[in-house]
Amino acid sequence: MFEHIKRWLAQRRGGSIGDHDPGNLPTPKKVDDQALSHCRLVVLDLETTGLNASKDEVIAIGAVAIEGGVIHLDDQFDLILRRPELDIRETVLIHGIGTEALTQGHETEDALLYLLEWMNGDPVLAYHSAFDQKFLEKTLRAQLGYTLPHVWMDVAELLPAFFPDSNTKGLGLDHWADFFRLDVSERHHAAADAMVTAELTLMALNKAQKIGVKTLKELAEKLHYQRRLKNMHRF
Amino acid sequence: MAAANQDTTRPQNTRAIMTFLREHSPFSSMDDTHLAHFAEHATLRFYADEDVVLSPEEGVVKRFYIVKQGRIRGERHNEKEDRAETTFEISQGECFPLAALIGERPTRTLHRASGDTFCLSIEQKAFITLFSESEPFRDFCLRGVSSLLDQVNQRIQSRAMASIGSSNSLDTPLERYALRNPIVCSPDLPVHKAVARMHENNVGSIIITDDNRHPTGIFTLRDLRTMIAEEKGSLDTPIRQVMTKDPCRLPATADAFEAAMLMAEHHFAHLCVVDDDDLLIGVVSERDLFSLQRVDLVNLARTIGTATHLRTLVSLRTDVSRLVDSMLAHGADSGQVVKIITTLNDVTVRRVLELNLKKNDPGIPFTWLTFGSEGRQEQTLLTDQDNGILFETPDGMTEDQVREKLLPFARKVNDELAECGFTLCKGNIMASNPKLCLSDAEWDDWFIRFIDASTPQNLVYSSIFLDMRAVFGPTESLHRLLERVLERIRKNALFQKMLAGNALQRKPPLTMFRNFRYLNEEKKHVLDLKRQGLAPFVESVRVFALANGVENANTLERMEQLSKKGVFDAKDANAWKEAYSLIQAIRMRAHQEMLGKGEDLTNYIDPDDLNPLDRRILRESFRQAQRLQQKLEVTYQL
Repeated sequence: MFEHIKRWLAQRRGGSIGDHDPGNLPTPKKVDDQALSHCRLVVLDLETTGLNASKDEVIAIGAVAIEGGVIHLDDQFDLILRRPELDIRETVLIHGIGTEALTQGHETEDALLYLLEWMNGDPVLAYHSAFDQKFLEKTLRAQLGYTLPHVWMDVAELLPAFFPDSNTKGLGLDHWADFFRLDVSERHHAAADAMVTAELTLMALNKAQKIGVKTLKELAEKLHYQRRLKNMHRF
Repeated sequence: MAAANQDTTRPQNTRAIMTFLREHSPFSSMDDTHLAHFAEHATLRFYADEDVVLSPEEGVVKRFYIVKQGRIRGERHNEKEDRAETTFEISQGECFPLAALIGERPTRTLHRASGDTFCLSIEQKAFITLFSESEPFRDFCLRGVSSLLDQVNQRIQSRAMASIGSSNSLDTPLERYALRNPIVCSPDLPVHKAVARMHENNVGSIIITDDNRHPTGIFTLRDLRTMIAEEKGSLDTPIRQVMTKDPCRLPATADAFEAAMLMAEHHFAHLCVVDDDDLLIGVVSERDLFSLQRVDLVNLARTIGTATHLRTLVSLRTDVSRLVDSMLAHGADSGQVVKIITTLNDVTVRRVLELNLKKNDPGIPFTWLTFGSEGRQEQTLLTDQDNGILFETPDGMTEDQVREKLLPFARKVNDELAECGFTLCKGNIMASNPKLCLSDAEWDDWFIRFIDASTPQNLVYSSIFLDMRAVFGPTESLHRLLERVLERIRKNALFQKMLAGNALQRKPPLTMFRNFRYLNEEKKHVLDLKRQGLAPFVESVRVFALANGVENANTLERMEQLSKKGVFDAKDANAWKEAYSLIQAIRMRAHQEMLGKGEDLTNYIDPDDLNPLDRRILRESFRQAQRLQQKLEVTYQL
């Protein structure tokens, strides 16, 4: 199976990246003065067997990378994990991954190691990121004993921060995609959802550039401010 | 299951991009491996409204782009007026900047996003790989945008071709049609020897030439048949006595279409092809032009032109429709096809008139006029009668006395034309209407009132009466009338301005966001190709033509003349001619389809029924109509 992933990687990247080195994984980057116009951001989406992080499991990981304000399709991640023992009856109808596909998936440990290498410690963005963060951290801890904290940002916060007047019909990813008339190639497919999340992120980054939010730090501050504003409105 | 099992070697997002690409030209005809190469090497970029995508200052172009969503517009600075002008628009599925990328130079036009826009793009290296490995891609890049237009035409042809199966294009120059060494003889050769020579060579015609090989006559098997049937002379007669003198000829550079039209007009089956010095190069026969056609133009025109009964004419109308099918298949463009339909309609009208004259001659010479689309030679299969009569009052008669004789005759002709499929005009614009059966002096008065008292009702009629043509009878009086009308309009700036205002009433069906604007609330998703698509061209062009003394009534010819006179920029004129022809082509194809399904013909289409390519073409064509109307607005300060 390891060979299989290596082959797969070679296909994706046009060359081998060598064996995994679990003891020497990339260090997670901190929020700093990285220029948004240059840094690499990972936009990720997980499919799980359910919504409960304490008992449900990750079955697919899709991610794309934004670098220099551009989505690079030669730098993406699209894996179904090999978890045949999991009960998927409840969710199979949503994400379309059946037992057969799961058994053909990749060895979880290898896939997660590759994911960490591929992420390269870069900040992770996701729609309702708390959900993905909880699941991924749990899985990494359980499978690899990996506990290093990564920077996460929530695209669900990013969008209203930069498009405050958008009259979306709801708070979901679909609502934003509809609002900007984006196509989702296959909803509830981790990679396709990651793609549309990344497209929305591109739009937000374009806006950020124009209103002077230039670094990752400034972006994090903007989101922080946005969160406080929202909390104030509650009272 | 679908998500995971199919084609798992490629990531979902790569597959999604391939699916998107497949919907657009040239990708739709490219191999999957090449599409995958594109998708795997692509980047996706976002541009907000008004963002610069490419500019001349950026240096040599290094990327190839395709619009995934949104729109890009090309912007050129107008030095004179110091403002930016939109020179082109690139919408979903379209590629740019081809010329600059191939020419390895900077772009000459600023490319700006128009609305939220996503573009896929590949680097030069991936572009070169595709360019060298994929033939459809290479073709597309080299031919640029024009190949899109070609494709529309090809699609129209291939559909009609299904029932015929030949691919000779009517644009082919005559010299490319195998012009067998023509069989020739001298004028003194006896007929039987000439016929023997034709027989030996298995041809149906022989050209009679003088010593210098200039064609002086033609003799065909038909002539032989007539000669024997009518006992015109013995077979020893020198051929010059029975040949058709001064045969029709065309230069080798003329195309097959011109040959077909000439043959249809004169009912000849053979034409001489000559060089610049009028030396005979060859002969082209209708068989050469339409070797595989079941219905042929010349034969059909001849059959219509010699029909002896109304019911024959009525039955021939279905052949006209079949001919249109085969014409499209032979590569005739829409401009050619409408002319052919008009030619055949003219032949029919003339024959109906001739048959009626034989039965019941009113005894007064007259000119049969046609107005509107028939006047413009732009008829399609869906056609109304719009006609009138122009006569010169004989000495000793009053105009009303003439009308007393002509009107019953005209009534009969109108009714019989209706039987042949020319619907009676609901507005009674027909020769049997006493108000439209007028003497030259009366027509003159009529036009003076029409032009000087520009009432709204008159303006509605401008699209009919200002596009006028004679189909039958003497043409000199019409020519004199037209000259006076044009002169009057040229001098009447107010009338021109009102015409221009009227021409702007019908807007091309595009919304502010360049989506289609539909007919009305009840008819959602319906466009009227005639009223919304063609009319803006026809009406705007008419104003320019009349104001600048262009006598032609045909819209394409008017544009050509206006370009020659420098009223239209040559590039604009070409773009407008092309756009107009493409809308017409889509309309005619829709007509053929309705006919095929046995439905009533309408000018309505649902753009959703079109393929994405046609939709884009249609949108761009409507945009050209908007540009033409803008020119009208600027010219007349409306």
